Amino acid sequence: MRPGLFPFTAAVVLACCGTTAGAGNPSRPSGYVSEVLENGLAVSILPDPTSPIVATQVWYHVGSAHEEAGSRGLAHLFEHLMFGETKHRPKEEYSRFHTRHGGDENAFTTTDETVYVSEIGPESHSRVLAMEADRMVSLVLKEENLENEKKIVTEELRVRTENDPYSRVLVAAQKALLGKHPYAYDPSGSKKDVAAATVASCRRFYEAYYHPNRAHLVIVGPVDAEATLDEVRRLFGPIPAGGQEPPEIPPLHTWTYPEEIDLSEDLPPVETAILGFPLPPPDSEDADALDVLAQMLAGGSVDLFREEHVRVRHRAIEAGTEFLDLRRGGGIVFYAVSLPYRRKTTAFADMMETREELSRLRWLTDERLESARRAVLRQELGDLIFSADRADAVGRARWWLGDDGRAFDRAERIRAVTREQVAAAYGRYVGSRRPIRLYVRPEKVPLLVRLFGWLYPLGSR
Amino acid sequence: MRSLHGTIAAAMLLLGGSCALGAASLEPPFAVQTWSVDEGTLGVLVEDHRTPLVTVRLEFPVGVWSPWARRSHAEEAFEIGLHDSAGALRARADALAAGLSLGMGVREARLAASCLEEDLPAVLELVRDVLDNRDLDRRELKRWRKESEISWESSQKDPSFRGNQAEARALFERDDPRRIPWEKPDRVETRTERLVMARDAIVRLPGRVIAFAGDLTREEAERAATGLLPRPAPLSPEDLGPVFRKVTSAGSRVHEVAERITRLTQVYFSLGRDSLPLGSPDYPAFVIADHVLGGHFYSRLTVALRHEGGETYGAGTSDYEDVVTGPYSLFTFTRRENAAATEAKLREALRLFHERGITEEERSDAIGSLRGRRLFDRQAAAQILGRFLWERRMGLPRGFSDEVVERASRLTLEEINRFIGRFYDPREFFLIRVEPPPGP
Repeated sequence: MRPGLFPFTAAVVLACCGTTAGAGNPSRPSGYVSEVLENGLAVSILPDPTSPIVATQVWYHVGSAHEEAGSRGLAHLFEHLMFGETKHRPKEEYSRFHTRHGGDENAFTTTDETVYVSEIGPESHSRVLAMEADRMVSLVLKEENLENEKKIVTEELRVRTENDPYSRVLVAAQKALLGKHPYAYDPSGSKKDVAAATVASCRRFYEAYYHPNRAHLVIVGPVDAEATLDEVRRLFGPIPAGGQEPPEIPPLHTWTYPEEIDLSEDLPPVETAILGFPLPPPDSEDADALDVLAQMLAGGSVDLFREEHVRVRHRAIEAGTEFLDLRRGGGIVFYAVSLPYRRKTTAFADMMETREELSRLRWLTDERLESARRAVLRQELGDLIFSADRADAVGRARWWLGDDGRAFDRAERIRAVTREQVAAAYGRYVGSRRPIRLYVRPEKVPLLVRLFGWLYPLGSR
Repeated sequence: MRSLHGTIAAAMLLLGGSCALGAASLEPPFAVQTWSVDEGTLGVLVEDHRTPLVTVRLEFPVGVWSPWARRSHAEEAFEIGLHDSAGALRARADALAAGLSLGMGVREARLAASCLEEDLPAVLELVRDVLDNRDLDRRELKRWRKESEISWESSQKDPSFRGNQAEARALFERDDPRRIPWEKPDRVETRTERLVMARDAIVRLPGRVIAFAGDLTREEAERAATGLLPRPAPLSPEDLGPVFRKVTSAGSRVHEVAERITRLTQVYFSLGRDSLPLGSPDYPAFVIADHVLGGHFYSRLTVALRHEGGETYGAGTSDYEDVVTGPYSLFTFTRRENAAATEAKLREALRLFHERGITEEERSDAIGSLRGRRLFDRQAAAQILGRFLWERRMGLPRGFSDEVVERASRLTLEEINRFIGRFYDPREFFLIRVEPPPGP
């Protein structure tokens, strides 16, 4: 690095920028603008003249978890319909405009939100804003288009879940574990419910959730923040507020789960034992300590559960740790894969012993804590490069954490986490908790594996 | 050590500043600098001082296509380097908060590392030790062997894998390297002394690259590259380079192949042929034609198969993008009961495209799209470096990717349509169908 360049340049930038909307909060980048329009639309603009691409995201705060029984898949189906005709534009204009100018456009529906994303060069950006405003209020819902999109999303459901044995087992596990919780359903929904959707039910969904006061517009890239904000006010300001609050989703860590679930699927001849530990929502007071815990357990080259279970104790062919992250909670999952000769009770008992070993917290040293903080810093710095990544972080921070400013202070929050907080979080959610157990078996096991699979651990030592 | 808060806040200020640091431009914002580290090693740097991060890429000119690599088990020899029997190297990577990975592509063995700029010296020390690791973890290799067997079984239930496999088998002879990714892998070698020998040979191959992108100067990069690797060997093994067989001719190829996977609720189609190599004089015309046929959300194929009748969720084209010929295909999938109608529509889309070519509006839109898309590759220094390394690996001139777009934009509609008349002749294509077994 050129000596002194970085702080110097930062100081120059500060001096050049003068007073900005973001200047009052030291963690918010200079030039950052965040405003809620009178109609309730939240707007965040982060100018970055060093990026060649403008990323625009519209976060509608409704996802599959807000659907009612009998309409599973409606949020995702509606996402498709948003690319349809409006009162002012033909169906294909939004996509064709992006293609013609070398841009990218897409959308995704999760359990918690539906997000429309655009990336395009700065000279084409204002047209994107006009089209986003247009479809927020002027979408035309027609029978013919709905019937076509119903076929398309059903094909999507088939390709993503029905025809992939791993997805099939995940969807089945989600349903079996979560029961009546709104997160029990995959966003692609059910074929039956998708088939039952009507223009009237889609219109009700649009009227309920697609309003400025249920949305967040995020723009990151080489734009003039003030001029862009004026443009946003002009285009989106006249759209009336309305709609309804989606139903509240219960947090995952206080939900009641079955103790154990068994599943079988058309998988290769290995059995997978899983221990799951629910976690609180990302805006909880333990969230930062859990963030560090995730980094320390499995964020780098060494996965501590795998290290102990596979390398030290030779209890499985493969093992590891996964973290699930949703708006109303998440989970830590330890998994272990073995050939189908071992009894389920033995597999779980072995995993519990490994959990006990981790619970001694020998891994929780000052040095490792510092390394975890630095790893988070590296990730944060890496995410600064791409406009789309930063737009995503801002949108997520507002909807998941209640404050878009928290997109910018993760490293600072992580820095404040202590060893004691990490230990307490581990104890509260993993060490002292009875895990949810899930066991997945292959439907068919070759005779040779069944008879001689027990020899594998001997050979692998 | 620099304060975390200070570092990230400064980086955000720098990236987010509203003063004019330079308008977005089509010109690459990061220049590629090269120098000779020694007689067998190229040094490369793409500077980017916006954030205190450095990416390191080491590339060695051998990949899984190489007969020598296969004979020497070079893939596992190279990739196991991060695993010593005590797990100490991985622990060091984590202590440095560095991302570190080793892998082998079809043409290259590569080591990638990313770290905070201030940790670069320690990370390079680690890289040196990884490439010189003599205590390879034999137990890990045994697990890799088992995993490889399980992954192969798993791939046989994946319609996309099976389609690619059938395509490669239709186009290439059994011993052609282009079939390797789709055939049952060789058993993982666990004799560590053999692997150490192979790895040592890889690291010393002449024609290697030490590359950096990010927050370091040319002087720092040159210093970092010096002595990082052992002296290169004077010569490469004789059978290092891949030997490609002739692609089967359209006349001798099968016209239809059906692969069966139980429980599928859809049928997956691929209308395939041999691809156009990147160096072909027709490649610029191909780029336009391919974009119009299957390269975007309102391409000919998505309109015919998705937007008009809801036959599918996905339809498009897939190109090999290599200087040697590989498979090129038009693909889609649909529900089982709709298979015949969709196959007919797919064939009809190809027939019409071949017969009528593209319109002036389609040509103009394609050029706008291809030119605009170049901005996406200019967001990060690591992307510029990645493009440079790819062009070098392929033996293409620097700036090839941009040049193709410019050459394409100079072609007339007639020239493009003449190419379409030659390349998209339906008689050149064969059909792969991955489907459930017959019966209810």
